[in-house]
Amino acid sequence: MTLPNGVADELRRIVGRESVVDAPNDLRIFERDGSIEGAVPDAVVLASSTREVSEVIKIAAKHRIPVVPRGAGTGLSGGAVTIRGGIALQVTRMRRILEIDPIAQTALVEPGVVNQELSLVAAQHGLFYAPDPSSQKACTIGGNAAENSGGPHCLYYGVTTNHVLGMEVVLADGSVHWVSGDAPDRVGLDLCGVLVGSEGTLCAITKIKVRLLRIPPSVATLLAAFPSIEAASQAVSAVIGHGIVPAALEMMDEVTVGAVEAHYHAGYPTDAGAVLLVEVDGISESTRELMAAITEILAQNQGYAMREAQTPAERELLWAGRKGAIGALGRIKPNYYLHDGVVPRSRLPQILSAVGEIGVHYKLPVANVFHAGDGNLHPNILFDLRDRQVLHQVEAAGEEMLRAVVELGGALSGEHGIGLEKSAFMPWIYSEDDLDAMHRVKDVLDADGILNPGKIFPDPNRKPIQLAGRTGLAIEARWW
Amino acid sequence: MVTSPTVEKPASADELARRLHEAATSKLAVVPVGGGRASGMGDPLDRCDVLLHTTLLDRVIEHSQADMVVSVEAGITLEALQAELAKAGQFLPLDPFNSPGHTIGGLLATGWTGPLRMRYGSPRDFLIGIRVALPDGTLATGGGRVVKNVSGYDMMKLHYGALGSLGVIVAASFKVFPMPLHDVTVTSDGRWDDADRALATPVTPSALEIFSDGRVLARYTGSRAAVDRAVDDLGWKVEERSIWERHSGRAPARWARIAAPRTVLRELVETLPRGAGWWASPGIGVAHWAIASDASSVRDMRARTESVGGALVMLAAPDELMRQAGAWGTPPSTLEIQRRLKNAFDPDHVLNPGRFVV
Repeated sequence: MTLPNGVADELRRIVGRESVVDAPNDLRIFERDGSIEGAVPDAVVLASSTREVSEVIKIAAKHRIPVVPRGAGTGLSGGAVTIRGGIALQVTRMRRILEIDPIAQTALVEPGVVNQELSLVAAQHGLFYAPDPSSQKACTIGGNAAENSGGPHCLYYGVTTNHVLGMEVVLADGSVHWVSGDAPDRVGLDLCGVLVGSEGTLCAITKIKVRLLRIPPSVATLLAAFPSIEAASQAVSAVIGHGIVPAALEMMDEVTVGAVEAHYHAGYPTDAGAVLLVEVDGISESTRELMAAITEILAQNQGYAMREAQTPAERELLWAGRKGAIGALGRIKPNYYLHDGVVPRSRLPQILSAVGEIGVHYKLPVANVFHAGDGNLHPNILFDLRDRQVLHQVEAAGEEMLRAVVELGGALSGEHGIGLEKSAFMPWIYSEDDLDAMHRVKDVLDADGILNPGKIFPDPNRKPIQLAGRTGLAIEARWW
Repeated sequence: MVTSPTVEKPASADELARRLHEAATSKLAVVPVGGGRASGMGDPLDRCDVLLHTTLLDRVIEHSQADMVVSVEAGITLEALQAELAKAGQFLPLDPFNSPGHTIGGLLATGWTGPLRMRYGSPRDFLIGIRVALPDGTLATGGGRVVKNVSGYDMMKLHYGALGSLGVIVAASFKVFPMPLHDVTVTSDGRWDDADRALATPVTPSALEIFSDGRVLARYTGSRAAVDRAVDDLGWKVEERSIWERHSGRAPARWARIAAPRTVLRELVETLPRGAGWWASPGIGVAHWAIASDASSVRDMRARTESVGGALVMLAAPDELMRQAGAWGTPPSTLEIQRRLKNAFDPDHVLNPGRFVV
């Protein structure tokens, strides 16, 4: 595909000659995000302002050209992939922190601001931005808002949507709007709430007002080993069942721990069937009390080799192991397919054993590293892309894992989004009427379907791999 | 209103959807009714042909204690739900005013909250699934029963606080919370300065209320160490926990909710008419005003509230005052988009006609 005649020139008149990329070799850089499937855009526009974003979308609307907003491209569900061609609208040049208000504890940022950078700058005021995806060194706040991203500390603090107070957005007709803001309880429909997590299919985000939190005076981080994933899962439920919601409660399986330890030397016990990383924060008296209670509960649930970080450096190292776990898996195989699904927390042992069996069936190593407290699993299917045959197997295994998630009453994605990757599976969890209601929102905001087409909603031309050949799989009764 | 409206009390979500569809087909105006605790909210209706009660939809569909997730039908009262959750040492952190008797559906539709919102957020933050009957007779679900979910659009946000203007909520799923390990309330007569002190201490209160008579209530929940430290730091008098139940019972006959950025709430509340009765949640940015004055004072207060980016919404008032003051104030800047959303879900405007913003 190429852009219609003259469109590239129109785009250049808005953003300047150098800010439109349309040479074939250059475009390949923008083919992918962090997911499996890629597609080369017809042009990339590097926007520097709301006005430019608006003007670019107006041109796209006039010519009915797809527009896909794009941040750092770290997304894991194909949200930034231009699957129908068109314009990749890159917003990473819009990377100013416009304001930090230490009294109101808010920040106003442009969409290209990197997640971790915001927390680093906010720290000067004793504040931090809570949602912390593992890609936080690279991913952008705009991308986080588009995907409603999570992270380890969302167990206690909530996901992105709980921290976005308002946004400036550009709709499919190029019009610019503010939705919500500093005050609670706005009058009218909660457009901001609907737009967060809409994966670039309803708007482009050009400014975000977020809530910042006070950095807790004390943090305690504990590493505990367990003989098995089942035992660790049981311990997770026991902690929360005792009325304690830690700031984070993360699990890694044996495969992951082996890779992480070899890479980071963080002191992870490599003989364990699973390890938990538990963190509580607050005043020091409180973190001591909670950590003592947690240690006791974990010990009662087969926890051993428990080690609390004694220094900030030690804590950093434990977290480096967790957040860098997926990179460390490269020691096992060069490529990974990172999946994302959520089950009711009590189903963790069942889903993890199903995931293990699926891996064995497809002869693919699987490493689990995930947000156990939320029931949000992340199986990593490890493979070597140089073996071209394997990709189909990888996708089939991933699909089967998701199917198992859904059969256990779970959801397709906890924090990565549906995007391109999972759109075909949406009918597994939603009826036609459910999807129709969502589509009404899409039609109201983007009647011509120019914003990130081919995402979220099932595309009749893209069938799940397994579904055609498999029948009789019972999905657990829907929750109503 | 010339004739009195028909009263429908469907016993299932399917039946409710059918009744709604029948009414919509005949272009009859439908007013969803839960516990009736917020029936004064909104502008006077243009028409009212059918009162569609959800009160027979009062089941707990599933309470998964280990997962800390509950799914309920919309007509269940908050108290009935809390009683069920309490059996497992859990609760929904929602303590709305004009209690008891709110239904879950009503609370979601109106967006009414209470003091605990400071610590736990509002249902907007812990509503994880929703099922809604639409005027075309379909039942549409969003979300699910897992605590973290980005599968598709966030339909919970679309209906939360929409006052039943897009559909009638028939069921909902929530993330619930463990009862706090410790729960202590302290009080002072120190007005805003004491409220500010409580906000600045290292342990943040879970609820903080200040009243027009100068009284301040601070509620601390969590580990014993944290609660003790907060209570020691403040040195205020310990209060019975039942004070919160009495507080939630508040519902003046004429009242309004003032929502504003937290940083300007004090300034704003101080401009209320001399001698006015009010209470405020400075940690949230919300105040409630028992209106003893006329519509012009409401309009003045609203103008001041809107000038700082806030909103003054009437929660109940005699029809005349409601007409003169208007329930909502200046429409949002996205009104045109909101109207198109309304049309997509309720093209004939049969749901609560005239009552909401759209």
